[in-house]
Amino acid sequence: MAHAVNMTQSPPAAVSGKGLMTRARTMQLVGCAFLLVGAFLGWRGGDNFLMKAWMQGWLFAVTLSLGALFFITIQHMVRAGWSVVVRRPAEALAGNLQWLWLGFIPFVVLWLQGRLDVLFPWANLEHLAQVDAAEAHTIAKKSAFLNVPFFMIRAAIYLTVWALLARFFVSNSAAQDNDGRIERTLRMAKWSGPALILFGLTTTFAAFDWIMSLNPLWFSTMFGVYFFAACCAGGFSTIALLCMRVQDQGYLKGVITAEHYQDLGKLLFGFGIVFWAYIAFSQYMLIWYGNIPEETTWFMARQIGQWRLVSVALLFGHFILPFLFLISRWTKRWRGTFLFGVVWMLVFHWVDLTYLIQPVIPHDLAQFATYDEVQAAYAHEYAPIFNPVLLTFSFGFLLLTLGGALSRLTRTGLLCRNDPRLAESLRFENY
Amino acid sequence: MTTTHASTPPATRRRVHGLLAEFHDPASLMHAAEKVRDAGYRWWDCHTPFAVHGLDQAMGVQRTILPILVFGAGLTGTSIGFILQAFTNSSSLSLWALVWVTGYPFLISGKPLLSLPAFIPVIFELTVLLSALGAVGLMLLLNGLPWLSHPLLANKRFLRATDDRFFIVIESRDPRFFRSRTEEFLKSLGAKVVEAVEA
Repeated sequence: MAHAVNMTQSPPAAVSGKGLMTRARTMQLVGCAFLLVGAFLGWRGGDNFLMKAWMQGWLFAVTLSLGALFFITIQHMVRAGWSVVVRRPAEALAGNLQWLWLGFIPFVVLWLQGRLDVLFPWANLEHLAQVDAAEAHTIAKKSAFLNVPFFMIRAAIYLTVWALLARFFVSNSAAQDNDGRIERTLRMAKWSGPALILFGLTTTFAAFDWIMSLNPLWFSTMFGVYFFAACCAGGFSTIALLCMRVQDQGYLKGVITAEHYQDLGKLLFGFGIVFWAYIAFSQYMLIWYGNIPEETTWFMARQIGQWRLVSVALLFGHFILPFLFLISRWTKRWRGTFLFGVVWMLVFHWVDLTYLIQPVIPHDLAQFATYDEVQAAYAHEYAPIFNPVLLTFSFGFLLLTLGGALSRLTRTGLLCRNDPRLAESLRFENY
Repeated sequence: MTTTHASTPPATRRRVHGLLAEFHDPASLMHAAEKVRDAGYRWWDCHTPFAVHGLDQAMGVQRTILPILVFGAGLTGTSIGFILQAFTNSSSLSLWALVWVTGYPFLISGKPLLSLPAFIPVIFELTVLLSALGAVGLMLLLNGLPWLSHPLLANKRFLRATDDRFFIVIESRDPRFFRSRTEEFLKSLGAKVVEAVEA
């Protein structure tokens, strides 16, 4: 405790940590290299697969940063005291949203080439009508929303809103380090409400646009919430991971303690594991019970061939096992177990994205009479979990995200050192 | 008002619940609690007007086993929820009286009789219900509650435990409790007043 209190008197100034900066730059360079390698490897795999792999890698990075943005916003919303020492790593992570819009450029290129339908079937209804006339007929009725110009406008709105929100919280917090003005805290608290509304709307519609509309016939109002819960699972894990990474370099020792990790763990447990499972099940049960063909096909695509294994792995890996593992107090407080838990959640968040983005709904489902017939016909459906293109893209984007966060951390300083609630956070204990 | 009633024998011989030691600030209470803990007393407690952080460690209070019990209560709810539905919807069994008992196997929208997704809401609710009831009930049980009355509540001096005084009470059932020796001990810890609490 005495050690922690001393930290308030002589806070670490903007960290001159060369080790951290070098590490961050290396991660960013290697990340870029991975993206290039992924593009090179995937070039011959067809545009559809290349773009889906890119989409997943990019959304992996986006969801981690969105989770962090939500974390910051909610801390300001409730004026939390405990979280001040872990807020800077979260801000560094959310700050990635200021450049992550670059990952959308390939989609803009596709749009300019008029080939957006390699990914989104609704983008070219004439072509779709040749493949599946009935589907094209239904989707044509959705074209007031699902049309290319509006899609691009909406994407621009989401990306702008996220970049601006991230910029608002990150820059105000960083500026407070120097001027110590308490109005900045009040201003961030005041705008956190509208920010949360904007966040909720943009993430929901982004999930509809970028993931749900990959299968435009299918719809679920729960989907946006599912995506948000997934963001929390990835984002909160990465915040904890970043804190540990910084502490490994010898910084913030005695500042971020087991108490803060335990609370991060509680949030991860609540939002990323239990809430995720609650929403995932709610979505599944209604569709399973209603048993309407245009809804059940989405789940059918995830229960054929290898996707069946992925679905079961997700049930156990994203809910049951981490639930049993992280429910205990000591697993969240002891570094080794908590590190294992957050890395596990990060991996399964990625599996979750694969499950959402990669499966393809077969067009000929209507010709089968029973579930078992579909199972037999598609027994060898391939799930690209270990596909090198997918893995290199995802890993590249992960490195870029972590590297971007670390380099931002070294630039802005590791601690919100003039935050009015810093002392409260340093003293924080769970009871 | 620094007289000690404990040294003068009471008019009528009544059993003593324990010795009450009064402190004026949390810091001295904390230091005293550490000494009482180290002296090996087991049946004793601290009473403060507000939560004093760190007092648990100073008193050497062990962590509660309540979470593990609540986990058990939750698992019980999970099992009951599953067994109840699985039995009533889709199975039959012979009870100990050798009576063949069957549930209500209704076929609903073509689903299998034993379909887990439909059971999960009830399983979930029963898990939450038994966890919540178990948490409250077992907490009361572990604390030995409820009590209709407590000897301390009849003590005038103890009233200030809700205002501005801090107390340590060592109960007479503690094996190390000897009235004179414990009283000397409490005084040596800096207690402003030490007095006997009648049972």
